[in-house]
Parts: sequence; structure tokens; C-alpha cells
Amino acid sequence: MAYVATRGGERAIEQAERLFRDDLGTITRERIEAVRNGLPYLIDRVMGEASLYEPDLAALALAQAGGDLYEAVLLLRAYRTTQPRLTVAEPVAQTDLFTVRRISAAFKDIPGGQILGPTLDYSHRLLQVGVLKGESYTPDPVIPAAEPAPAVQPSLATWQKAQGLIKDYPAETVAPDDIPDLTREPLLFPASRAHKLQSLARADTGGTLALGYSTMRGYGSVHPTVNELRLAEAPVRMRHPCGTIFSAGRVRVSQTEVVSKAMELELGFSATFGWNEVKVIAAATLDLASNQPNPHPASNEEFVLYHTEPVESSGFCIHFKLPHYVTFQSSLDALRRVKTDREEATAGKIVAEAEDQSEEEEVAL
Amino acid sequence: MTEITTGSPVIGGYAHAQALDILAASRPEAIKACAEDVLTDLGGVTVLANRTGLAMLPFVDTVRNTAFHLGEVLVAEAHIRVPDRGVEGYGAVTGRDLEHAMAIAVIDAAIAAGHRTDLVLEFLNAEQRRQEESDRERLRKVEATRVQMETF
Repeated sequence: MAYVATRGGERAIEQAERLFRDDLGTITRERIEAVRNGLPYLIDRVMGEASLYEPDLAALALAQAGGDLYEAVLLLRAYRTTQPRLTVAEPVAQTDLFTVRRISAAFKDIPGGQILGPTLDYSHRLLQVGVLKGESYTPDPVIPAAEPAPAVQPSLATWQKAQGLIKDYPAETVAPDDIPDLTREPLLFPASRAHKLQSLARADTGGTLALGYSTMRGYGSVHPTVNELRLAEAPVRMRHPCGTIFSAGRVRVSQTEVVSKAMELELGFSATFGWNEVKVIAAATLDLASNQPNPHPASNEEFVLYHTEPVESSGFCIHFKLPHYVTFQSSLDALRRVKTDREEATAGKIVAEAEDQSEEEEVAL
Repeated sequence: MTEITTGSPVIGGYAHAQALDILAASRPEAIKACAEDVLTDLGGVTVLANRTGLAMLPFVDTVRNTAFHLGEVLVAEAHIRVPDRGVEGYGAVTGRDLEHAMAIAVIDAAIAAGHRTDLVLEFLNAEQRRQEESDRERLRKVEATRVQMETF
């Protein structure tokens, strides 16, 4: 692909960037804190798609990008490349998750019970317009239970496996350093399950929803029910130089199992950084659908994973606005040449036909 | 949560992992103040590393038990040596707070050297109480959202 530099445009380019930043105004520490504290679900979404967990940096990226999600994700992915990989942490298991929300739409009575946690699922969606008139909105406080909820819950799939309802798979014994890693290896097809789940974890929420929704509506053979949806905090367990494994802190994660209602129960799975329920439900549906024989193109593994990568897809999309003068001029030249050739051919044909007609007339005389 | 309490206590009743867990989850200003006090007569410190970097976080899929990478977490780490006492200290904490990581490393070295045990133990006890209370209060609010679907 060929591009041309925009000669003489340096000043305009600089002023264009200044104009973009001028519209956003001064970025202060207070603005970053307001974004981080006031929009945690947006921060979660950006961190999940960037595949980099650091709320302050995500807030800064959003502030610098003026809220443009793809720019913010790109900023975080670029920042990530400046940092060394210190370690691969210990794998997170279900018994590590500090769980604040765990529900099932498939089973009413699940071991451990259903915990709604922080959610607007059953709420009226009303704008508090009084805030715009200067009336602060302070939500009613939670009335805590006398006793705390259990901090950890087993996955519903574990119980179903014990009941013989779904197939169990032997646990893989892979050292953390040997787990396939998309940031170090290309995504090849058929993809390993580790690559597939990592790719879905860092996928674009909107793209994942679009493809997942199409699958749910019938462009595929899977109609999912949420087996378990969970919001939790996972420990980042690192290794001390003397070998002690300890937690360096917790990060917010969401995970979902979806179950199909086919001849036998089959599950799909997805997890991501941050609390992002739409993404993990859609992604788990795509996991399940892509495991079916001859999946619909909308849930074909290659189709899904390639087209939900946020930086590559948005980057490819917006690159079309950059100068394509050489390639476009080349196309124009080709079109003009074809047109000229056609005109010449037509003109030649007319001349030939005229000559033929003249010869025929001469013969007739 | 899987509380890693295995291993012999290194200070008070705390195993090494448990102490490091508490230090990483401590309030930044409080642990920095504690480390300052510990540092006063700890001796000369050589900084081997004090930097931010990435920890890739693997996650185990509940359906097929496949371990996969969820993404990378930015962490701050510090690694120090105290030549006079022949000990090292290490700390890591999620985020970019290099001073917090250094404070953990200083206290870790102090624990290894048996230095200012009273001060460190007092800090660990106070932080453990605060962290447990914070988790308990959060989980009491979570428990308030438990639902019986029959009556929903």
C-alpha cells in the first residue's frame, strides 16, 4: 500500500492536534481522579480491551482521548510496550475470587445461593435530572446484613460436573510461563483454547456483542442461558525471590458460563478484566457457538477473533481516512485508460464499420 | 479468598506470604510512615530494583480447566539488600506506587533481620484488622443482596 507525505502540511498538522487538545482543555489530576472514581465501569471496559490493568492510566488515557474508547485503548496498548514483563503470576482459580455477585439464570437453587451484588438489573432506568438544576443526587445507603456473604463460591460448573450433568475435563498441568500467550505468539487457526479465551478477554466489547447477539438471534445453532455470571476481585499472586507466593493486590474481573439447551448440556466460558457483563455473556456465547461442528460464519472462530480485536479493527477502519493519493490516483489512471481504450475501440469500430459499409456500397455499384 | 498461611511464622503469628499480603494491601501513607521508622536504624540499603513492570495474569477456565492469560497488570516492585545485616527485602504492589513497593521491601528486610519487630508487628496487626473489617463490611453489603428466586 502506498502513501504520500503531505508536504508543507507540518504546521497544519500541529495546529490540528492543538485544536483537538484545545477543545479538551487542561487535563488535571482532579479530572483524572473524577474519571477514575466516577466512571469505574468505563475504566473497566478500557482496561479489558487494552489488556492492561491500571485504573489511573486508563483514566488518563480516557481523559487524553476525550473519551474516544479506541484512542484510549491504543494509548494503553502503546504504554504497555514500554514496560518490562516482570513475571507471569500464579493462575487464578475459583477459590481465589473475592466474589461480590454470582447469579444463575439456568438454576434457581444453586449451591451458595444467588447473590445479586451491585447491579441495575431490576431497577427503573431514570435520569436524575435534578442534578442538572444543582440538586445533588445521593443514593440511599445499603442496609448491610448482619453476617457477611461468603467471600468465595465454587463455580456452578464444578457442581454440575459432580452431578454428572456436564462433561468434566482433566485439569491441564501447564506451568504459568508455558501458557500460550498472544502477546508473544501469532494467533493461528485452529486456535488453541488458551489463545481463544485470551483473545476474547481482550476483545472489543461492541464487536463481541454484535457477533454474540447475531448468534443469539439465530445466526448459529446456540441459544444461550447464563449458567453462572460472576463479578469478583482476583488476587495477583507473585513470587518473592525466596519462593514465597503472595498477593500484590486484587483486580476486578468478570466471568460467565453459558449453557446450551441442545441434546446434552454444553458450556461456553469467558472472563475479562473489569466488570463488563455484556462482554463476557456475548463472548461465552461465541465460545460455545464456535465449538459446534460447522459453526455459522458469524460464530466461526477465525471470523470472531480477527474481527473483534479492537486496535487492529479500529486502526484498519480509520486508516482509510489517511492519504491514499497514490493508490487512488493509480485507480483513476486505470479507469481513464480503460475509458480511453473503450472510446478508441468504439471509434475504431465505427471507422471499420464505416469502411466496411463503404466497401459494400462500392461492390454494389 | 485463598489465604496463603502455609509456612512457618516469620513474625508474630504471620507466615511470610501472609505478611506480604497485608503489606501490599496496606494504606500507602501508613506503610510508608512505618517503613520510614524502620529504616532509621536498619543500616545502609542497596537498591537492586525499584521499577514498574507487567505481571501477566493467568486464569483457569471453569468449563474445560484451561489456563489462559486474562491480561497484564501493572505492578511496582522493589528489591533491596541490607549488607550490614546480610538480608534482602522484596515488595510488589499492583499499580505504579514505587514508594509503596519500596516500603514493603524495607519492612520485608526488617522482618528477615528481626529488626524493629515490635513496630512491624504492631503495624501488621493494625492493618490486618482494618483489611479484614473492610472486607467484612463489603461482604455484609453483598449479603444484603442475596435473593430467593421463589419470592422474587
